[in-house]
Formats: sequence, structure tokens, C-alpha cells
Amino acid sequence: MALATAIHRALAATPLAAAILIASVSAPAQTNYAAEAAKNPGAASKPTPRLADGHPDLNGVWHHFFGIGTIEKVGQSFVVGGAFNPKSAALYSAPLNDPNPEYKPQFVAKVKSLNENQVKEDPALHCMPPGVPRLGPPHQIVHTPRQVVFLYADSTGNQWRVIPLDGRPHGTDPETAATYNGDSVGRWEGDTLVVDVTRLTDETWLGDNGLFHTRKLHVTERLKRVGDTIQYQVTAEDPEVLQKPWTLSRTLTLQPDALEEAAPCVDKDAGHYVTTEHHDNTR
Amino acid sequence: MRIASRWMWAAPAALLCALPLPAHHSFAAEFDAAKTVTLRGVVSKVDWINPHIFVYVDVKDDSGKTTTWALQSLPPLFFRGSGLTKDVLLSNKQEVTVTANPAKDGSQAYGFMTKLSYPDGHVFSMSPQDADPNLKKAQK
Repeated sequence: MALATAIHRALAATPLAAAILIASVSAPAQTNYAAEAAKNPGAASKPTPRLADGHPDLNGVWHHFFGIGTIEKVGQSFVVGGAFNPKSAALYSAPLNDPNPEYKPQFVAKVKSLNENQVKEDPALHCMPPGVPRLGPPHQIVHTPRQVVFLYADSTGNQWRVIPLDGRPHGTDPETAATYNGDSVGRWEGDTLVVDVTRLTDETWLGDNGLFHTRKLHVTERLKRVGDTIQYQVTAEDPEVLQKPWTLSRTLTLQPDALEEAAPCVDKDAGHYVTTEHHDNTR
Repeated sequence: MRIASRWMWAAPAALLCALPLPAHHSFAAEFDAAKTVTLRGVVSKVDWINPHIFVYVDVKDDSGKTTTWALQSLPPLFFRGSGLTKDVLLSNKQEVTVTANPAKDGSQAYGFMTKLSYPDGHVFSMSPQDADPNLKKAQK
């Protein structure tokens, strides 16, 4: 990461550099989680509020997905900030250290090929819904005793998931046999909300890097509120193609500002790709 | 209005090659950072869309013919809370100077906007130093 920061600093010295810099934010899996944590100092040490039923209160805006860049107003001018400005780069450059999923040997070549052709093959880069689990942790949670609603202002468009907490089983309606965000049911294990997701379409990837999956995908999310933070953990199991379950962890911080509607996603780039440089949109 | 559409080989290829830059953004799959085009014109349209906004600039050549450049910029979520909105970009009808990296595929009037400068000196720039002299000083 130090290397990437040094490159940012060296390159940011010229206008051209900024363009190259956009082309070269090199460390994978960078996001704004650390910048969000900085907006709520000591968040994890604050008291954990609870609903009347005793469960932790998950209501709130927890994450704004805008990757690693911002626009800053300086005087009358506007310039790119976040990871692109040496003053704030560290907060937007903290690596997530996500593990790579381990595919069965016979599928490794397919993942490699999809990854190498990501700008052409990646559905979410072309405005299709990323689906669960790639959609990431919830941006806002609306929590009532009988259901939680996850809201997302994603770069591919606005998304929502309604997750019943009343103990009902997964659905069986063949008309909705497989969807982008799947069929979620929630339950409490102590202070942890566990969301079980099935019936997911195989038209999505698990992440940026050609991580295809089948309709056997089973996702489990675990959310534990600690003060003004949520420890979010998501595990993807796909026994058809993965050697073992794949787990990612994120720490979300209660944000002071509202969730804003995402702009519509319109793919204007598709016909213009000449080469195959990668595009990370880690959520 | 006058067109100043000159191609400048702004970066020696050697510089680009020397930097250990694994390309993790499809910018490089689409736009040529080694070339810069400078345009003068008026912002005529803005598409506030994901994954990147587009700013359209009407550029007149010496014969009076207008060409509308489609210029890709940053993701709309970057602009959140900044005060720079579609309305702000559209409301200023002054002639602006724009620098852009052109498309690699040879598409005409299509590029990535690196800087938009207004006559009064304020800018919308991809380089933080363009608006923060202290940053520039600190890096010297």
C-alpha cells in the first residue's frame, strides 16, 4: 500500500498524472470504509441501542458506496479527492485483505479467462445488478421486529432486500426460482442477525475478478452491532465450483448523513474498450 | 468561438513504461493517457449517470461548424455533498477550456475529461494541485 501511496504522490504532481492515476490505482480491494470510520470517532465504544424486543437496533445508514474517490470544493474550484489526494489518500487506501475464493481445479482456467476479459465479461461493469453477495453490506438498514430491509444505492442502480424475521422458510415459488438478490430469511443468534440467502441467479459474479458461481450458491450474512459499528461477515458456499466456503468481513460505521438515490446506470463504455485493463469496484 | 484542438504528446512513453502500474481501472482500456486534446467550447448537456457522468461540450471550429464532444468524467457518487451538480455544470454558459484524453478506439469527439477551466480561473480538475497551491508547494 505504501507503494501505491508513493505512486499517488509522485503522479499527482502533474495534470496528466491524475489521469494515469485513475488508470492505476493499483492496490485491489480499496474502499472508503476507513474514511467512514473517521466520521464517527470511537464508534465501537458507544452504547449499543436495542429495540423493545431486546435485539440490537440495526436501524441507520451504515455505508455509502462510492469507492475511493470524492470531489472536494477548494475555493471556487472542484478537484478529485479521496484516494486521489495525498491529504486524504491513507483513509481511502486501506487494503481490505480479502481472501480469494478457492475454485476446484477444473474451474480455475475459466475464472482466469473471465478475469482477463473483465471489461467485456463482467455483468456489473455493464450496469447489470451485482447480486448477493457482490452487492456488499447494506447501505441503510430499516429494522422492525418482524423484518429488516436492506437498502443499497449501488453504482448499478438502487437495490433493496426485504428479510423476514418471523421464522418462515425460504420460498418455493418456481416463478422466482432464482433472482439477483435471492431469497433471504433472517434469524437471531444471540445478538447476531443471521441472514440466509438461497435461490440466487447464476448470472452474477461473486466479485470483480471473474468469480462466477452456479445456482447452488448459498450465502450467509452475519451482522453484529457493536456500539455505532456493525461487524458484517458474509460467507459464500457453492459446492459445485468452490473448494470451500469463502468469507469476507467488513466493519461498518453508523454514518451521520442520509442515503442518496443512485443515479441510473447507462453503459456507454461497452463499444469503446480496446484493451482489457481491469476495473475494480470493490463493495 | 475558436477551436484549439491540438494534439499534444504530453507524456513520453518512457515515463509510462517506467512506472510500475498494474492497471486496475478500465480507463486505460478505453482512453489514451499519453495523448491530451485541448478544447474550447460551452457545456451543452450533462448526463448524470453511473458508472461515470458525461459532460458534453459544443466546440466550434474556424468555419463555424459545431462539434459536440462527449466527455466521460467521474462516478456520480464521487460528487456527493461536493456542491458540484449537474445544474452547476449546466448553468455556466461561459466558454470553457477543457483538456481530455481521447478514446483509444479512434472515436471522434469522445474522451475522458481531465480538467475544465472557467474564464474566472476556477476549475474542475482531476489533479488536486490545480486548486490547492499548498499541495503543490508541499510536493516540490
